[in-house]
Amino acid sequence: MQIWDNTGTIPKPQRIIAVLWLSFLMAGVATGLFFSAIDPMELRNCVAFPEVNRTTAYSIGFFLFWLLTSSSSLLAVFFIHPSEGKPAASDSSGNGQ
Amino acid sequence: MTQAEDPGHAAPEPTQREGVEEALYAKRQKIYPREVHGLFAGLRVTSVILLLGIFYGLPWITWDGRQSVLLDLPARKFYIFGLTLWPQDFLLLAFLLIIAALSLFFFTALAGRVWCGYACPQTVWTEVFLWMDRLIEGDRQKQIKLDKSPYSFRKLRIKLTKHIVWIVFSAFTGFTFVSYFTPATHLAAKLASFNLGPWETFWMIFYGFATYGNAGWLREQVCLYMCPYARFQSAMFDDDTLVVSYDEKRGEPRGPRRHGIDHRARGMGDCINCTLCVQVCPTGIDIRDGLQYQCISCSACIDACNDVMEKMGYPRGLIRYTTQNALQGKKTQIVRPRIVIYGLILTAFITAFITILATRIPLQLDVIRDRNQLYRETRDMIENVYTLKILNMDNQPHEYRITVSGDDLEHMQLLTDSNPISVNAGEVLDVPARVRVDEEELEHRSSHIYFTIDDAANPDLKVTEKARFLGPERHDDD
Repeated sequence: MQIWDNTGTIPKPQRIIAVLWLSFLMAGVATGLFFSAIDPMELRNCVAFPEVNRTTAYSIGFFLFWLLTSSSSLLAVFFIHPSEGKPAASDSSGNGQ
Repeated sequence: MTQAEDPGHAAPEPTQREGVEEALYAKRQKIYPREVHGLFAGLRVTSVILLLGIFYGLPWITWDGRQSVLLDLPARKFYIFGLTLWPQDFLLLAFLLIIAALSLFFFTALAGRVWCGYACPQTVWTEVFLWMDRLIEGDRQKQIKLDKSPYSFRKLRIKLTKHIVWIVFSAFTGFTFVSYFTPATHLAAKLASFNLGPWETFWMIFYGFATYGNAGWLREQVCLYMCPYARFQSAMFDDDTLVVSYDEKRGEPRGPRRHGIDHRARGMGDCINCTLCVQVCPTGIDIRDGLQYQCISCSACIDACNDVMEKMGYPRGLIRYTTQNALQGKKTQIVRPRIVIYGLILTAFITAFITILATRIPLQLDVIRDRNQLYRETRDMIENVYTLKILNMDNQPHEYRITVSGDDLEHMQLLTDSNPISVNAGEVLDVPARVRVDEEELEHRSSHIYFTIDDAANPDLKVTEKARFLGPERHDDD
Protein backbone atom coordinates (compact mmCIF):
# COMPACT_ATOMS: atom_id res chain seq x y z
CA MET A 1 0.00 0.00 0.00
CA GLN A 2 1.23 3.40 -0.89
CA ILE A 3 0.84 5.78 2.02
CA TRP A 4 2.62 8.70 0.46
CA ASP A 5 1.39 10.18 -2.74
CA ASN A 6 4.41 9.72 -4.98
CA THR A 7 2.88 11.42 -7.98
CA GLY A 8 4.15 14.72 -6.67
CA THR A 9 0.80 16.46 -6.41
CA ILE A 10 1.63 17.42 -2.84
CA PRO A 11 5.29 18.26 -2.25
CA LYS A 12 7.05 16.34 0.48
CA PRO A 13 7.74 19.20 2.94
CA GLN A 14 4.11 20.18 2.73
CA ARG A 15 3.00 16.61 3.44
CA ILE A 16 5.28 16.35 6.47
CA ILE A 17 3.98 19.68 7.78
CA ALA A 18 0.39 18.67 7.08
CA VAL A 19 0.83 15.52 9.12
CA LEU A 20 3.05 16.55 12.01
CA TRP A 21 2.75 20.28 12.53
CA LEU A 22 -0.97 20.90 12.15
CA SER A 23 -1.75 17.86 14.27
CA PHE A 24 0.63 19.26 16.90
CA LEU A 25 -1.45 22.46 17.07
CA MET A 26 -4.70 20.52 17.31
CA ALA A 27 -3.27 18.15 19.92
CA GLY A 28 -2.44 21.21 22.00
CA VAL A 29 -6.02 22.45 21.76
CA ALA A 30 -7.41 18.99 22.55
CA THR A 31 -5.12 18.59 25.57
CA GLY A 32 -6.22 21.97 26.91
CA LEU A 33 -9.90 21.19 26.46
CA PHE A 34 -9.69 17.66 27.81
CA PHE A 35 -7.72 18.43 30.94
CA SER A 36 -9.69 21.55 31.84
CA ALA A 37 -12.77 19.36 31.99
CA ILE A 38 -11.13 16.26 33.47
CA ASP A 39 -8.65 16.03 36.30
CA PRO A 40 -6.27 13.12 35.64
CA MET A 41 -6.24 12.42 39.37
CA GLU A 42 -9.98 11.77 39.30
CA LEU A 43 -9.65 9.69 36.17
CA ARG A 44 -7.62 7.25 38.21
CA ASN A 45 -10.69 6.39 40.30
CA CYS A 46 -12.73 5.41 37.25
CA VAL A 47 -10.38 3.58 34.92
CA ALA A 48 -7.15 1.69 35.29
CA PHE A 49 -4.74 4.59 35.18
CA PRO A 50 -1.05 4.38 35.97
CA GLU A 51 0.24 5.85 39.20
CA VAL A 52 1.60 9.16 37.88
CA ASN A 53 1.51 12.79 38.91
CA ARG A 54 -0.52 15.37 37.00
CA THR A 55 2.40 16.84 35.03
CA THR A 56 3.24 13.40 33.64
CA ALA A 57 -0.41 12.71 32.90
CA TYR A 58 -0.73 16.00 30.97
CA SER A 59 2.41 15.30 28.95
CA ILE A 60 1.40 11.72 28.16
CA GLY A 61 -2.09 12.98 27.31
CA PHE A 62 -0.60 15.48 24.91
CA PHE A 63 1.46 12.86 23.10
CA LEU A 64 -1.50 10.49 22.86
CA PHE A 65 -3.59 13.30 21.37
CA TRP A 66 -0.75 14.10 18.99
CA LEU A 67 -0.60 10.46 17.93
CA LEU A 68 -4.34 10.52 17.33
CA THR A 69 -4.43 13.81 15.42
CA SER A 70 -1.36 12.96 13.35
CA SER A 71 -2.86 9.57 12.43
CA SER A 72 -5.92 11.42 11.24
CA SER A 73 -3.75 13.83 9.24
CA LEU A 74 -1.76 10.95 7.79
CA LEU A 75 -4.95 9.30 6.60
CA ALA A 76 -6.17 12.60 5.18
CA VAL A 77 -2.92 13.03 3.24
CA PHE A 78 -3.22 9.46 2.06
CA PHE A 79 -6.83 9.84 0.96
CA ILE A 80 -6.40 13.21 -0.68
CA HIS A 81 -5.03 11.71 -3.88
CA PRO A 82 -7.57 9.83 -5.97
CA SER A 83 -7.71 6.08 -5.74
CA GLU A 84 -5.89 4.34 -8.57
CA GLY A 85 -7.99 3.58 -11.59
CA LYS A 86 -7.58 0.63 -13.94
CA PRO A 87 -3.93 -0.56 -13.96
CA ALA A 88 -3.66 0.12 -17.68
CA ALA A 89 -5.01 3.64 -17.29
CA SER A 90 -2.64 4.51 -14.48
CA ASP A 91 0.29 3.25 -16.58
CA SER A 92 -0.64 5.37 -19.56
CA SER A 93 -0.99 8.49 -17.42
CA GLY A 94 2.73 8.23 -16.84
CA ASN A 95 2.91 7.96 -13.09
CA GLY A 96 6.04 5.96 -13.54
CA GLN A 97 5.43 3.77 -10.50
CA MET B 1 -9.40 9.25 -15.51
CA THR B 2 -9.95 12.03 -17.99
CA GLN B 3 -6.24 12.51 -18.17
CA ALA B 4 -5.75 8.87 -18.99
CA GLU B 5 -8.45 8.89 -21.63
CA ASP B 6 -7.13 11.98 -23.29
CA PRO B 7 -3.35 11.87 -23.24
CA GLY B 8 -3.14 14.92 -25.42
CA HIS B 9 -4.39 17.09 -22.58
CA ALA B 10 -2.62 15.20 -19.86
CA ALA B 11 0.84 15.56 -21.24
CA PRO B 12 1.59 19.23 -20.58
CA GLU B 13 -0.05 19.36 -17.18
CA PRO B 14 2.55 17.59 -15.02
CA THR B 15 5.36 19.72 -16.38
CA GLN B 16 3.41 22.86 -15.65
CA ARG B 17 2.75 21.63 -12.15
CA GLU B 18 6.40 20.78 -11.69
CA GLY B 19 7.28 24.29 -12.72
CA VAL B 20 5.10 25.77 -10.01
CA GLU B 21 6.51 23.36 -7.48
CA GLU B 22 10.02 24.24 -8.34
CA ALA B 23 9.25 27.88 -7.73
CA LEU B 24 7.56 27.17 -4.41
CA TYR B 25 9.64 24.32 -3.13
CA ALA B 26 13.02 24.82 -4.73
CA LYS B 27 16.00 24.30 -2.47
CA ARG B 28 15.95 27.21 -0.10
CA GLN B 29 18.26 30.07 -0.86
CA LYS B 30 19.51 31.51 2.41
CA ILE B 31 18.20 35.02 2.89
CA TYR B 32 20.44 37.68 4.32
CA PRO B 33 18.12 40.56 5.16
CA ARG B 34 19.98 43.85 5.08
CA GLU B 35 19.73 45.99 8.20
CA VAL B 36 17.21 48.77 7.86
CA HIS B 37 16.52 51.98 9.78
CA GLY B 38 13.45 54.13 9.73
CA LEU B 39 10.03 54.72 11.16
CA PHE B 40 8.69 51.17 10.77
CA ALA B 41 11.96 49.48 11.74
CA GLY B 42 11.84 51.61 14.89
CA LEU B 43 8.29 50.53 15.56
CA ARG B 44 9.23 46.88 15.14
CA VAL B 45 12.24 47.15 17.44
CA THR B 46 10.00 48.84 20.05
CA SER B 47 7.49 46.03 19.68
CA VAL B 48 10.23 43.38 19.96
CA ILE B 49 11.66 44.94 23.12
CA LEU B 50 8.20 45.33 24.65
CA LEU B 51 6.94 41.82 23.86
CA LEU B 52 10.14 40.00 24.74
CA GLY B 53 10.48 42.19 27.83
CA ILE B 54 7.06 40.97 28.94
CA PHE B 55 7.86 37.34 28.07
CA TYR B 56 11.24 37.20 29.80
CA GLY B 57 10.33 39.59 32.63
CA LEU B 58 6.95 38.37 33.88
CA PRO B 59 8.20 35.20 35.61
CA TRP B 60 10.45 37.36 37.80
CA ILE B 61 7.71 39.72 38.98
CA THR B 62 6.07 38.82 42.27
CA TRP B 63 2.41 39.56 42.96
CA ASP B 64 0.62 38.78 46.24
CA GLY B 65 3.59 36.69 47.35
CA ARG B 66 3.67 34.50 44.25
CA GLN B 67 4.80 34.72 40.65
CA SER B 68 2.66 37.28 38.80
CA VAL B 69 1.68 34.92 35.99
CA LEU B 70 1.87 31.26 36.90
CA LEU B 71 0.02 28.47 35.14
CA ASP B 72 0.17 25.95 37.93
CA LEU B 73 -0.87 22.84 36.03
CA PRO B 74 -0.11 20.34 38.81
CA ALA B 75 -2.44 22.28 41.14
CA ARG B 76 -4.91 23.01 38.31
CA LYS B 77 -4.88 26.74 39.02
CA PHE B 78 -3.88 29.69 36.85
CA TYR B 79 -2.59 32.74 38.72
CA ILE B 80 -2.78 35.92 36.67
CA PHE B 81 -1.80 38.81 38.91
CA GLY B 82 -4.62 39.17 41.45
CA LEU B 83 -6.84 36.65 39.72
CA THR B 84 -6.93 32.92 40.36
CA LEU B 85 -8.58 30.87 37.65
CA TRP B 86 -9.87 27.33 38.20
CA PRO B 87 -10.81 24.67 35.66
CA GLN B 88 -14.38 25.84 36.40
CA ASP B 89 -13.46 29.16 34.76
CA PHE B 90 -12.84 27.42 31.47
CA LEU B 91 -15.45 29.60 29.78
CA LEU B 92 -13.27 32.67 30.42
CA LEU B 93 -10.32 31.03 28.69
CA ALA B 94 -12.51 30.01 25.76
CA PHE B 95 -13.81 33.57 25.45
CA LEU B 96 -10.27 34.91 25.59
CA LEU B 97 -9.23 32.65 22.71
CA ILE B 98 -12.30 33.68 20.68
CA ILE B 99 -11.50 37.34 21.34
CA ALA B 100 -7.90 36.78 20.24
CA ALA B 101 -9.05 35.13 17.00
CA LEU B 102 -11.65 37.80 16.27
CA SER B 103 -9.13 40.58 16.95
CA LEU B 104 -6.83 38.94 14.42
CA PHE B 105 -9.68 38.93 11.86
CA PHE B 106 -10.64 42.51 12.64
CA PHE B 107 -7.14 43.94 12.45
CA THR B 108 -6.30 41.91 9.36
CA ALA B 109 -9.34 43.28 7.53
CA LEU B 110 -8.46 46.79 8.65
CA ALA B 111 -4.70 46.97 8.46
CA GLY B 112 -3.51 43.79 6.77
CA ARG B 113 -0.82 41.60 8.28
CA VAL B 114 0.21 43.90 11.14
CA TRP B 115 0.33 40.84 13.37
CA CYS B 116 2.93 39.19 11.11
CA GLY B 117 5.10 42.26 10.77
CA TYR B 118 5.25 43.39 14.37
CA ALA B 119 3.87 40.95 16.93
CA CYS B 120 4.16 37.35 15.75
CA PRO B 121 6.63 35.38 17.92
CA GLN B 122 8.25 34.11 14.73
CA THR B 123 8.97 37.70 13.60
CA VAL B 124 9.98 38.83 17.06
CA TRP B 125 12.45 36.02 17.71
CA THR B 126 13.79 36.04 14.15
CA GLU B 127 14.51 39.76 14.61
CA VAL B 128 16.61 38.96 17.70
CA PHE B 129 18.45 36.17 15.87
CA LEU B 130 19.15 38.48 12.91
CA TRP B 131 20.52 41.00 15.36
CA MET B 132 22.79 38.34 16.88
CA ASP B 133 23.93 37.37 13.35
CA ARG B 134 24.89 40.98 12.60
CA LEU B 135 26.68 41.33 15.90
CA ILE B 136 28.78 38.21 15.34
CA GLU B 137 29.11 37.86 11.56
CA GLY B 138 28.82 41.49 10.54
CA ASP B 139 26.45 43.10 8.05
CA ARG B 140 24.77 41.49 5.04
CA GLN B 141 27.82 41.71 2.75
CA LYS B 142 30.10 40.19 5.38
CA GLN B 143 27.63 37.38 6.05
CA ILE B 144 27.40 36.49 2.34
CA LYS B 145 31.18 36.66 1.99
CA LEU B 146 31.71 34.48 5.04
CA ASP B 147 29.31 31.81 3.80
CA LYS B 148 30.98 31.77 0.38
CA SER B 149 34.50 31.55 1.77
CA PRO B 150 36.15 28.13 2.12
CA TYR B 151 36.38 26.58 5.56
CA SER B 152 39.04 28.14 7.68
CA PHE B 153 39.82 28.53 11.35
CA ARG B 154 38.29 32.02 11.30
CA LYS B 155 35.03 30.85 9.70
CA LEU B 156 34.79 27.95 12.14
CA ARG B 157 35.37 30.28 15.08
CA ILE B 158 32.72 32.77 13.94
CA LYS B 159 30.15 30.08 13.15
CA LEU B 160 30.84 28.32 16.44
CA THR B 161 30.45 31.57 18.38
CA LYS B 162 27.18 32.27 16.58
CA HIS B 163 25.73 28.88 17.38
CA ILE B 164 26.84 29.02 20.99
CA VAL B 165 25.12 32.41 21.35
CA TRP B 166 22.02 31.04 19.57
CA ILE B 167 21.93 27.99 21.85
CA VAL B 168 22.44 29.98 25.06
CA PHE B 169 19.66 32.36 24.05
CA SER B 170 17.37 29.47 23.06
CA ALA B 171 18.09 27.63 26.30
CA PHE B 172 17.16 30.73 28.28
CA THR B 173 13.98 30.99 26.20
CA GLY B 174 13.16 27.36 27.01
CA PHE B 175 13.82 28.04 30.69
CA THR B 176 11.54 31.09 30.60
CA PHE B 177 8.78 29.09 28.89
CA VAL B 178 8.85 26.38 31.55
CA SER B 179 8.99 29.01 34.30
CA TYR B 180 5.41 29.92 33.43
CA PHE B 181 4.49 26.47 34.75
CA THR B 182 7.05 25.99 37.52
CA PRO B 183 7.92 29.18 39.46
CA ALA B 184 11.08 30.72 37.98
CA THR B 185 12.92 30.95 41.30
CA HIS B 186 12.24 27.27 42.09
CA LEU B 187 13.16 26.29 38.56
CA ALA B 188 16.45 28.21 38.76
CA ALA B 189 17.28 26.53 42.08
CA LYS B 190 16.40 23.10 40.66
CA LEU B 191 18.49 23.77 37.57
CA ALA B 192 21.46 24.93 39.64
CA SER B 193 21.37 21.71 41.67
CA PHE B 194 20.71 19.49 38.59
CA ASN B 195 17.44 18.47 40.15
CA LEU B 196 14.96 19.15 37.34
CA GLY B 197 11.94 16.95 36.87
CA PRO B 198 11.88 14.82 33.69
CA TRP B 199 9.07 16.81 32.07
CA GLU B 200 10.57 20.15 33.04
CA THR B 201 13.78 19.05 31.34
CA PHE B 202 11.91 17.73 28.33
CA TRP B 203 9.79 20.84 27.71
CA MET B 204 12.75 23.15 28.34
CA ILE B 205 14.77 21.36 25.66
CA PHE B 206 11.72 21.11 23.40
CA TYR B 207 10.92 24.82 23.52
CA GLY B 208 14.59 25.80 23.39
CA PHE B 209 15.09 23.61 20.35
CA ALA B 210 11.95 25.05 18.72
CA THR B 211 13.35 28.56 19.22
CA TYR B 212 16.75 27.57 17.85
CA GLY B 213 15.23 25.81 14.85
CA ASN B 214 12.45 28.25 14.00
CA ALA B 215 14.22 31.56 14.59
CA GLY B 216 17.74 30.39 13.76
CA TRP B 217 17.32 28.04 10.81
CA LEU B 218 13.82 28.04 9.38
CA ARG B 219 12.95 31.75 9.68
CA GLU B 220 10.79 32.85 6.73
CA GLN B 221 10.04 29.21 5.88
CA VAL B 222 7.84 29.04 8.97
CA CYS B 223 5.72 31.83 7.47
CA LEU B 224 5.76 30.32 3.99
CA TYR B 225 5.10 26.67 4.76
CA MET B 226 4.02 26.21 8.35
CA CYS B 227 1.80 29.11 9.29
CA PRO B 228 -1.93 28.46 8.87
CA TYR B 229 -2.69 32.17 9.25
CA ALA B 230 -0.44 33.05 6.30
CA ARG B 231 -2.53 30.72 4.16
CA PHE B 232 -5.97 31.99 5.06
CA GLN B 233 -5.32 35.65 5.86
CA SER B 234 -6.11 36.63 2.27
CA ALA B 235 -9.73 35.64 2.95
CA MET B 236 -9.99 38.63 5.28
CA PHE B 237 -8.54 41.02 2.71
CA ASP B 238 -10.50 43.30 0.41
CA ASP B 239 -9.59 46.26 -1.76
CA ASP B 240 -9.75 48.60 1.24
CA THR B 241 -7.30 46.65 3.39
CA LEU B 242 -4.02 48.33 4.18
CA VAL B 243 -1.18 46.61 2.33
CA VAL B 244 2.48 47.34 1.72
CA SER B 245 2.57 48.16 -1.94
CA TYR B 246 4.83 49.51 -4.63
CA ASP B 247 3.32 52.34 -6.65
CA GLU B 248 3.82 50.92 -10.12
CA LYS B 249 2.38 53.94 -11.91
CA ARG B 250 4.91 56.19 -10.23
CA GLY B 251 7.89 53.86 -10.27
CA GLU B 252 7.86 52.41 -13.78
CA PRO B 253 9.72 52.28 -16.01
CA ARG B 254 12.46 51.68 -13.48
CA GLY B 255 16.17 52.05 -14.10
CA PRO B 256 19.44 53.59 -12.91
CA ARG B 257 20.08 57.26 -13.61
CA ARG B 258 22.50 60.00 -12.67
CA HIS B 259 21.64 62.15 -9.71
CA GLY B 260 19.77 65.36 -10.47
CA ILE B 261 18.65 64.64 -14.03
CA ASP B 262 15.03 65.19 -15.04
CA HIS B 263 14.09 61.51 -15.27
CA ARG B 264 10.48 62.27 -16.17
CA ALA B 265 11.60 64.09 -19.30
CA ARG B 266 13.53 60.95 -20.27
CA GLY B 267 10.44 58.81 -19.78
CA MET B 268 11.61 57.14 -16.54
CA GLY B 269 9.70 56.43 -13.36
CA ASP B 270 10.85 57.08 -9.80
CA CYS B 271 12.26 53.58 -9.16
CA ILE B 272 16.03 53.66 -9.58
CA ASN B 273 16.20 49.85 -9.39
CA CYS B 274 18.70 49.91 -6.53
CA THR B 275 17.15 46.59 -5.27
CA LEU B 276 17.45 47.70 -1.66
CA CYS B 277 13.81 46.77 -1.13
CA VAL B 278 14.69 43.20 -2.13
CA GLN B 279 17.82 43.14 0.02
CA VAL B 280 16.02 44.15 3.20
CA CYS B 281 13.11 41.73 2.71
CA PRO B 282 13.15 38.98 5.35
CA THR B 283 11.17 36.64 3.08
CA GLY B 284 13.28 37.41 0.03
CA ILE B 285 10.57 38.69 -2.30
CA ASP B 286 10.46 41.66 -4.64
CA ILE B 287 7.59 43.89 -3.52
CA ARG B 288 7.55 45.45 -7.01
CA ASP B 289 6.07 42.20 -8.35
CA GLY B 290 2.80 43.04 -6.60
CA LEU B 291 0.96 41.68 -3.59
CA GLN B 292 2.32 38.26 -2.63
CA TYR B 293 1.32 35.86 0.11
CA GLN B 294 4.97 35.71 1.21
CA CYS B 295 4.84 39.39 2.23
CA ILE B 296 4.52 39.62 6.01
CA SER B 297 3.97 43.41 5.90
CA CYS B 298 7.07 44.11 7.96
CA SER B 299 7.52 47.33 5.91
CA ALA B 300 11.32 47.05 5.88
CA CYS B 301 11.10 47.88 2.16
CA ILE B 302 9.16 51.06 2.92
CA ASP B 303 11.93 52.30 5.20
CA ALA B 304 14.65 51.32 2.72
CA CYS B 305 12.90 52.93 -0.25
CA ASN B 306 12.04 56.12 1.62
CA ASP B 307 15.73 56.58 2.39
CA VAL B 308 16.60 56.22 -1.27
CA MET B 309 13.82 58.56 -2.38
CA GLU B 310 15.10 61.20 0.03
CA LYS B 311 18.66 60.85 -1.26
CA MET B 312 17.39 61.20 -4.81
CA GLY B 313 15.31 64.22 -3.87
CA TYR B 314 12.05 62.45 -4.84
CA PRO B 315 8.94 62.39 -2.66
CA ARG B 316 8.77 59.52 -0.16
CA GLY B 317 6.29 56.68 -0.42
CA LEU B 318 7.12 54.95 -3.70
CA ILE B 319 6.59 51.86 -1.55
CA ARG B 320 4.02 52.64 1.12
CA TYR B 321 1.11 51.46 3.20
CA THR B 322 -1.86 51.88 0.93
CA THR B 323 -4.93 50.05 -0.35
CA GLN B 324 -5.74 48.48 -3.70
CA ASN B 325 -8.49 51.04 -4.14
CA ALA B 326 -6.17 53.96 -3.45
CA LEU B 327 -3.64 52.61 -5.95
CA GLN B 328 -6.35 52.45 -8.58
CA GLY B 329 -7.32 56.03 -7.82
CA LYS B 330 -10.54 55.08 -6.04
CA LYS B 331 -11.65 56.13 -2.58
CA THR B 332 -10.63 53.96 0.36
CA GLN B 333 -13.50 53.11 2.64
CA ILE B 334 -12.49 52.43 6.20
CA VAL B 335 -16.02 51.78 7.50
CA ARG B 336 -17.46 48.94 5.46
CA PRO B 337 -19.72 45.94 6.25
CA ARG B 338 -16.81 43.58 6.91
CA ILE B 339 -15.25 45.93 9.46
CA VAL B 340 -18.60 46.71 11.10
CA ILE B 341 -19.53 43.03 11.45
CA TYR B 342 -16.11 41.95 12.78
CA GLY B 343 -16.16 44.98 15.08
CA LEU B 344 -19.64 44.26 16.45
CA ILE B 345 -18.93 40.57 17.13
CA LEU B 346 -15.62 41.49 18.74
CA THR B 347 -17.26 44.12 20.96
CA ALA B 348 -19.98 41.64 21.96
CA PHE B 349 -17.43 39.04 23.03
CA ILE B 350 -15.28 41.56 24.90
CA THR B 351 -18.38 42.85 26.74
CA ALA B 352 -19.43 39.29 27.61
CA PHE B 353 -15.92 38.48 28.81
CA ILE B 354 -15.76 41.54 31.07
CA THR B 355 -19.26 40.84 32.41
CA ILE B 356 -18.40 37.23 33.23
CA LEU B 357 -15.17 38.31 34.88
CA ALA B 358 -16.82 41.12 36.87
CA THR B 359 -19.77 39.06 38.08
CA ARG B 360 -17.69 35.97 38.76
CA ILE B 361 -18.24 34.70 42.33
CA PRO B 362 -15.10 32.99 43.60
CA LEU B 363 -17.16 30.39 45.42
CA GLN B 364 -18.69 27.16 44.26
CA LEU B 365 -21.00 24.66 45.90
CA ASP B 366 -21.72 21.13 44.75
CA VAL B 367 -24.32 19.05 46.55
CA ILE B 368 -23.94 15.28 46.41
CA ARG B 369 -26.73 13.09 47.85
CA ASP B 370 -25.75 10.14 49.95
CA ARG B 371 -25.98 7.13 47.68
CA ASN B 372 -26.40 4.51 50.38
CA GLN B 373 -29.89 5.30 51.54
CA LEU B 374 -32.74 7.28 50.06
CA TYR B 375 -34.05 8.62 53.38
CA ARG B 376 -34.22 7.83 57.08
CA GLU B 377 -37.14 8.24 59.45
CA THR B 378 -36.51 9.83 62.83
CA ARG B 379 -39.68 10.17 64.97
CA ASP B 380 -41.94 12.42 62.85
CA MET B 381 -39.11 13.78 60.73
CA ILE B 382 -37.59 12.50 57.47
CA GLU B 383 -33.85 12.80 57.12
CA ASN B 384 -31.65 12.96 53.97
CA VAL B 385 -27.87 12.96 54.01
CA TYR B 386 -25.72 15.07 51.70
CA THR B 387 -22.12 15.99 51.15
CA LEU B 388 -21.56 19.68 50.43
CA LYS B 389 -18.44 20.34 48.36
CA ILE B 390 -17.46 23.93 49.12
CA LEU B 391 -14.84 25.38 46.78
CA ASN B 392 -13.26 28.64 47.92
CA MET B 393 -11.74 30.05 44.72
CA ASP B 394 -10.74 33.30 46.40
CA ASN B 395 -7.21 34.23 47.44
CA GLN B 396 -8.17 34.51 51.13
CA PRO B 397 -9.97 32.33 53.68
CA HIS B 398 -13.68 32.85 54.31
CA GLU B 399 -16.30 31.88 56.87
CA TYR B 400 -19.41 30.58 55.19
CA ARG B 401 -22.90 30.22 56.67
CA ILE B 402 -24.83 27.26 55.39
CA THR B 403 -28.62 27.52 55.18
CA VAL B 404 -31.26 25.34 53.62
CA SER B 405 -34.74 26.15 52.32
CA GLY B 406 -37.43 24.40 50.33
CA ASP B 407 -40.58 24.99 48.31
CA ASP B 408 -43.51 24.90 50.79
CA LEU B 409 -41.28 23.41 53.49
CA GLU B 410 -41.29 25.40 56.69
CA HIS B 411 -39.95 23.15 59.38
CA MET B 412 -36.51 22.20 58.18
CA GLN B 413 -33.49 21.30 60.24
CA LEU B 414 -29.91 21.43 59.05
CA LEU B 415 -27.30 19.45 60.97
CA THR B 416 -23.60 20.01 60.24
CA ASP B 417 -20.48 19.65 62.32
CA SER B 418 -19.92 23.37 62.41
CA ASN B 419 -21.83 26.29 60.98
CA PRO B 420 -20.48 28.78 59.94
CA ILE B 421 -17.57 26.89 58.55
CA SER B 422 -14.19 28.33 57.59
CA VAL B 423 -12.59 27.37 54.28
CA ASN B 424 -9.01 28.31 53.43
CA ALA B 425 -7.99 30.11 50.25
CA GLY B 426 -8.11 27.70 47.32
CA GLU B 427 -9.46 24.86 49.46
CA VAL B 428 -12.10 22.30 48.54
CA LEU B 429 -13.94 21.23 51.68
CA ASP B 430 -16.34 18.31 51.98
CA VAL B 431 -19.01 19.06 54.58
CA PRO B 432 -21.36 16.26 55.60
CA ALA B 433 -24.86 17.66 56.14
CA ARG B 434 -28.12 16.13 57.30
CA VAL B 435 -31.43 17.76 56.49
CA ARG B 436 -34.64 16.91 58.38
CA VAL B 437 -38.11 17.82 57.20
CA ASP B 438 -41.47 17.45 58.96
CA GLU B 439 -43.12 14.44 57.34
CA GLU B 440 -46.50 16.21 57.27
CA GLU B 441 -45.09 18.92 55.03
CA LEU B 442 -43.80 16.55 52.39
CA GLU B 443 -46.38 16.54 49.63
CA HIS B 444 -44.45 14.45 47.15
CA ARG B 445 -41.95 11.65 47.19
CA SER B 446 -39.35 14.04 45.85
CA SER B 447 -39.11 17.74 46.70
CA HIS B 448 -36.69 20.45 45.72
CA ILE B 449 -34.57 22.00 48.42
CA TYR B 450 -31.94 24.72 48.16
CA PHE B 451 -28.62 24.92 49.94
CA THR B 452 -27.21 28.42 50.26
CA ILE B 453 -23.76 29.35 51.46
CA ASP B 454 -22.73 32.92 52.03
CA ASP B 455 -20.11 34.97 53.79
CA ALA B 456 -21.70 37.28 56.36
CA ALA B 457 -18.86 39.77 55.99
CA ASN B 458 -19.06 39.74 52.21
CA PRO B 459 -22.62 39.82 50.81
CA ASP B 460 -21.41 39.25 47.22
CA LEU B 461 -20.12 35.83 48.16
CA LYS B 462 -23.33 33.86 47.99
CA VAL B 463 -24.26 30.80 45.99
CA THR B 464 -27.35 28.62 46.01
CA GLU B 465 -27.50 25.06 44.78
CA LYS B 466 -30.58 22.99 44.11
CA ALA B 467 -30.90 19.44 45.47
CA ARG B 468 -33.54 16.74 45.80
CA PHE B 469 -35.09 15.68 49.06
CA LEU B 470 -36.59 12.19 49.04
CA GLY B 471 -39.29 10.93 51.38
CA PRO B 472 -41.64 7.95 51.66
CA GLU B 473 -44.23 7.19 48.96
CA ARG B 474 -47.39 9.29 49.41
CA HIS B 475 -50.84 7.92 48.78
CA ASP B 476 -51.90 11.01 46.87
CA ASP B 477 -48.89 10.59 44.55
CA ASP B 478 -49.57 9.18 41.16
